[in-house]
Amino acid sequence: MSGPDPGPLIRLFGLTGGRARPQGEAFDLVAIVTTVSMAAGRADLMREHLAVLTLCRRPCPVADVAAHLRLPLNITRVLLGDLRREGLVTIDRPRPVTQTIDERIYREVLNGLRRL
Amino acid sequence: MGYAASESGATEVASALAIKILIAGGFGVGKTTMVGTISEIRPLHTEELLSDLGIGVDDTTGVERKTTTTVALDFGRITIREGLWLYLFGTPGQDRFWFMWDELALGALGAVVLADTRRLRECFPAVDYFEQRGIPFLVAVNCFDGARRHDPSTVRRALGLGALTPIVLCDVRDRESVKDVLTNLVTYAVKGTFSST
Repeated sequence: MSGPDPGPLIRLFGLTGGRARPQGEAFDLVAIVTTVSMAAGRADLMREHLAVLTLCRRPCPVADVAAHLRLPLNITRVLLGDLRREGLVTIDRPRPVTQTIDERIYREVLNGLRRL
Repeated sequence: MGYAASESGATEVASALAIKILIAGGFGVGKTTMVGTISEIRPLHTEELLSDLGIGVDDTTGVERKTTTTVALDFGRITIREGLWLYLFGTPGQDRFWFMWDELALGALGAVVLADTRRLRECFPAVDYFEQRGIPFLVAVNCFDGARRHDPSTVRRALGLGALTPIVLCDVRDRESVKDVLTNLVTYAVKGTFSST
């Protein structure tokens, strides 16, 4: 917990129009965001929106987007929710671990760790 | 045409996968150090804003008390290959941020409970949490300065762990040691997954 300086927080909520939660279906910290369209000519998008679109041309987890933008996760998620609603990004619905990890991926992870 | 390109992109099944692993344990036990030792990037840090959540604040007055506070969240990344990542999330230490654990734990492959043998009771809450939710975890005893004050069987008894829960001794500053912890966890967690399906 940090000090009571409200300045940065007000600025951040300004980015989201005061909203603390994203629109639409909830998504996970490591849900994969992928840019569908670069939204050329869209004057209504903010710098942060455009930064997301550029970053996610390569699929990128939500937590990474937040870190790259240096924004809190919930602010980032509001921005991502907006972009999804506009059809500019897709956000993968997280699947249960049992469905995503098969023997092949497990081997890959294990070998990847050993190579580090 | 532009629309044709985006359409083919949308129908292509995204195979990108990020696997979550949690690093839990008491305050100052070495969670952030552990993430930093193994992460390919400096541990990423975000301040999570907690707005409109009256955490531990009584609302019996009927007055909407809007508290705005932040909680630090540190995480690291290991790229296995393009499109396959391991994410290590250090869980917030303070009890008042338990609600964040639920979100962090959702869909996690497993958890490392870091223990300091001088303060073993500090990992009780984490052990309880993962046991109750059926999230695979192991206990990694951080051996500060090579001190091995307890053997694993003592730790197992002290924490009331079942016979199957792995206990490993480690040094969170040592890369090989942290790799060892993670490979143990992944193997343990995945074996459970395969046998239950």
